[in-house]
Amino acid sequence: MAVNELLAQLHEVAVSPKKQLEKYLSEGKKVVAVAPVYTPQEIIHSMGLVPMGVWGADMEINEAKKYYPAFICSIMQTILELGIKGEYDGVSAIVIPSLCDSLKTLGQNWKYAVKNIPFIPMTYPQNRKPAYGLKFTKAGYARVISDLTIATGAQYSAFALTESIKIYNEHNAVMREFAEIASDADITAAQRSDVFKSAWFMLPEEHTAIVKQLNEELKAGPKAEGKVRVLITGILEDSPSLLKILDDNGIKVVFDDVAHESRQYRTDAPESGNPMDAMAQKFADMDNCTLLYDPEKKRVDYIVEQAKKHNAQGVIVLMTKFCDPEEFDYVPIKRACEAAGLMHLNIEVDRQMVNYEQANTMIQAFKEMF
Amino acid sequence: MYTLGIDIGSTTSKCVILKDGQEIAGTSIVVAGTGTDGPEKALTEVLADAKVSRKDLSVIIATGYGRKIFSAADGEVSELSCHARGVHHIFPNVRTIIDIGGQDAKVIALNEQGRMSNFLMNDKCAAGTGRFLDVMAGILQLKIEDLETQAALAKEAVKISSTCTVFAESEVISQLANGVSTPDLVAGICQSVAVRVGSLAKRIGIREEVCMSGGVARNGGVRVAMEKELGVEIKYSPIAQLLGALGAALYAYDKACSK
Repeated sequence: MAVNELLAQLHEVAVSPKKQLEKYLSEGKKVVAVAPVYTPQEIIHSMGLVPMGVWGADMEINEAKKYYPAFICSIMQTILELGIKGEYDGVSAIVIPSLCDSLKTLGQNWKYAVKNIPFIPMTYPQNRKPAYGLKFTKAGYARVISDLTIATGAQYSAFALTESIKIYNEHNAVMREFAEIASDADITAAQRSDVFKSAWFMLPEEHTAIVKQLNEELKAGPKAEGKVRVLITGILEDSPSLLKILDDNGIKVVFDDVAHESRQYRTDAPESGNPMDAMAQKFADMDNCTLLYDPEKKRVDYIVEQAKKHNAQGVIVLMTKFCDPEEFDYVPIKRACEAAGLMHLNIEVDRQMVNYEQANTMIQAFKEMF
Repeated sequence: MYTLGIDIGSTTSKCVILKDGQEIAGTSIVVAGTGTDGPEKALTEVLADAKVSRKDLSVIIATGYGRKIFSAADGEVSELSCHARGVHHIFPNVRTIIDIGGQDAKVIALNEQGRMSNFLMNDKCAAGTGRFLDVMAGILQLKIEDLETQAALAKEAVKISSTCTVFAESEVISQLANGVSTPDLVAGICQSVAVRVGSLAKRIGIREEVCMSGGVARNGGVRVAMEKELGVEIKYSPIAQLLGALGAALYAYDKACSK
């Protein structure tokens, strides 16, 4: 299949999550919603369930305002809004991790606001690397399994989890390869985003098959030329309006440190030994993310290293409004970029944005600096 | 060779015609911005002022919020780049530009070559912009051009603590009810703009020389408050409101020369 056909296929999935939900339900499968940022999708998958990402949507918020003050991240607010409005009806349960204060409140509010979809908490430890952290994570996963069984009737088996880990690791590898190939390939920011976004709405084995083909086609295809090469960092980069502005201004996304995108695929679970231990180890091995405790802030150096590795001329920080963890990281990122001679731009983004003119002016001016 | 720069802002349309990339042959300012007939009127007026016709213009470059929808333009450049270029043309030693327009505020850092090296824009709200001053002048029943003279008469500026224009409006009304003098209130309003935009400037880092551009730069009350807030002298040109259009005219000249 040609590049454009593969990209069109992934675009269709990226813009039609409800259609995907209906497809899986019609196949007799049960679907479990997984909230940002990290959830044990391998476990959900191993129990014969379909994990589908819920990261909210660009929309007006009404009902969720009954549960939230105005100064809460709009990703959380729109997830709750969609839940209240029945957009996730048909889903058997939702797994919400405890990785930031807003996520904690999402779980608490969900219990009262969306009674027809059971809330399953995944409580992660702050200190994930020591032995006691691994034990804590494993206990959290055991709770998820128990709640999934209650909500769906699905059963856990260590053998199935080992197989699912292999499937997810293969998907991770294919997505990492895509990120590298897309660094130079002639695809737009919007197309690149579709590849990552569609992954949230498909079974990994199905997504892997398409992205594998795409990678082969892109390797043989033309390279992007004459663009301003940037690394994007932030929580989310899926707004069609913003992606269009990037493309209209000749901005080439050469790599990302986006929670919704590459951060998901950096770390594999070990494929040998007890699979529950492997899952806990995977979480312990994850790094370079705002939401994972790191007193040394290694993420800052990681961004600069990746920008250099991918010949980025600058770094664009897409700052999700009211995301305290990302805001705390911004100052060291800014300083590190300046020290490394990388141009940087901070754009505040929000699920409720309607007017993108200010972002457009900033991105155009950023491009004009090169 | 004549080139035209047109800066179509949220409230005002400004034009500059340059002769041979150096001499300002004509200017116009029409208080009507994007989405109105202001840009066309400004174009008509600048042609009359420069005593040239449309066919004499080699290249037209548009800038400002309305830059993308001005069909007569041969190209468009962001207002940040245009202000940087325009200011550098007038003040070659300026390294920090504070540009306060009708609807937003920007701080631009320039390198030794006069090229934009960094910038910041204000939040998506009217605080610290020309719109804020318009609203405040309206409450005080003053003309916008009277704010400068009123601020100069102040004995002690009243502190306006609200950064939001809507809340600041209530605060000013309360102060009026408390019998505070109009000059003291006006000085407080100017100081409020200076504090708000000054904090943006401090985030990017103040490097002298510092210049104010944009429509609000015409208000001496804000310029004085900004000097106090930042502790530096603020350079000011009588054509501060036209510096974006001047930058666009300079970009137009570059484009004409490269044809």
